[in-house]
Amino acid sequence: MTFFATTGLRRTFGGVVAVDDASVELREGRINGLIGPNGSGKTTFFNLVTGMIAPDAGEVVFRDRSIAGHAPHRIARSGIGRTFQVTRVFPRMTALQNLLVAVRRVGLSELLRSAVRGPEVARAEQWLERVGLEHLRNAEARSLSYGQQKLLELAGAMMGDPKLVLLDEPAGGINPVMIERISALVKELNAEDRTFLVVEHNMDMVMSTCDHVIVFDRGRPIATGTPAQVQADARVLEAYLGV
Amino acid sequence: MGSSEVALPAASNRWRIAAAALAVVVLAVYPLVAPNAYLLYVAVFALMYMALATSWNIMGGLTGYISLGHSAFFGLGAYITGLAVTRGSLPHLPMAVVAGLVVGVLAIGIGYVALRVRGASFVIVTIALVYMFNLLAQGWRSLTGGSTGLRVPVIGDLSRMQVHTLFFYMFALMLVLVMATWWFIDRSKLGMGLKAIREDEDKAQALGVPTNAYKITAFAISAGFTALGGGLYAAWFNALDPVFVFSIIIGANMVLMSLLGGVRHLLGPVLGAVIVVPATEYFLVQLGETQIHLVATGLLLAFVVLVMPDGIIPAIAALRRRRDPPASSIRESAAGAATPQEVTP
Repeated sequence: MTFFATTGLRRTFGGVVAVDDASVELREGRINGLIGPNGSGKTTFFNLVTGMIAPDAGEVVFRDRSIAGHAPHRIARSGIGRTFQVTRVFPRMTALQNLLVAVRRVGLSELLRSAVRGPEVARAEQWLERVGLEHLRNAEARSLSYGQQKLLELAGAMMGDPKLVLLDEPAGGINPVMIERISALVKELNAEDRTFLVVEHNMDMVMSTCDHVIVFDRGRPIATGTPAQVQADARVLEAYLGV
Repeated sequence: MGSSEVALPAASNRWRIAAAALAVVVLAVYPLVAPNAYLLYVAVFALMYMALATSWNIMGGLTGYISLGHSAFFGLGAYITGLAVTRGSLPHLPMAVVAGLVVGVLAIGIGYVALRVRGASFVIVTIALVYMFNLLAQGWRSLTGGSTGLRVPVIGDLSRMQVHTLFFYMFALMLVLVMATWWFIDRSKLGMGLKAIREDEDKAQALGVPTNAYKITAFAISAGFTALGGGLYAAWFNALDPVFVFSIIIGANMVLMSLLGGVRHLLGPVLGAVIVVPATEYFLVQLGETQIHLVATGLLLAFVVLVMPDGIIPAIAALRRRRDPPASSIRESAAGAATPQEVTP
């Protein structure tokens, strides 16, 4: 079974080729790192995979089904969750409500289901507790610190019960304690049969958390392997340092 | 883990029940004690706008999509009811309900097209909708009577005062129904998705929310109720002028009332209508039957946007919060543990 694979994925913006013939395969159960210099196409790759933008060409397969060009909500419900580079929470909704937005099933009964009590609310509270935000249950998301918003966003993504989670710079702009906390959470969730693809510039986090790393440069993967293998790869040094 | 609804303080609940009981008593008694037909007419007009603004708020308040064109649905409801009564000799009130249902279904198609755009573009599309139906009503003379309008026979054999009384209760019933619908949606999974659309539509999609389907659902419900209001208006007012029922002013009033009271609150549009309708009537009486009273409406809208952008109810809530003792902290603990701390005032 193919868990996740892209083949020949391509996207241009005007004359700029953001993602160019990108073929990436992820094995289930791993924490994969996706690194590369700024502008190498990592976030565009995320946006293509999650349907936020449509590819010009190429294929995306998730659990043996083609998802390229599908609407983002369909891709999310198929089992791919994500967070954003600049944290996006629903600012004027409470922390609890932020988690209750996630939709796992569609249908009339689902639409009319109560969002103020019942098992879904209990699930949301469990996730808040798990990320350490249960005391902020009724606080508006905009009043949370940036690190707390990162945790809330991760918990929100988990409410959809994804099998593949794409994290876009989870350590960006937060303190070292919070980075450790997020790393630990990712490892815990990975142990519960969730696969991760993490875009990150914090190399300490990548090297200590990921067990497989893909390096992007100019819109395509140039190297893959274990963190140690990637660190020693001459193409990676060239991409990062130009040496 | 316990249940998950936010419990209101018992005192707050008691106040709410007392206020609701008082509102029911006032609604039940007012037509019986109204000193004259004019004051009863103003009350019916206010109730109509309370119901219309709350209908608008199902779409505008929950999703943040500002429609200035809801008068298109109001006018359609009025004309469908008026034509069914005059041409088909069908009963007034059931036809108003049918008009609501028909327009609700029609709005699914309109919403499918109109909701492909966001922000200012959506506002413009809704304005175009009003002009389209206005032209249709004025142009299709053989059916609608054109610019001379449509005369709808008075319901039953009632006097003017009896008609006002009947429609006072009809609009009150509609208000209860539309408020109950708003309340139910607000607490449902649909409502959570709609509010997420208001905050960040792309993010909502990334969490699995089928945003188009949600928006179209809200749009259709909102349009259906607005058309029901239009149908009741046709049965009550008995004269349909296409320039009035398909005017931007009716839609703009719904927006103004909702913004004034607070779009995120059930009672926001009701409070807005309670203020705007009597104020408009006052200006009409003082300034005469000219369009100059619209300047006052414009000034009120400018005041709201400048001083209370979230509306009166949130402004009062903010004032109360400022007086209350500080709540628990939202700061992160240094160790990353979830320990509540006190906020520095």
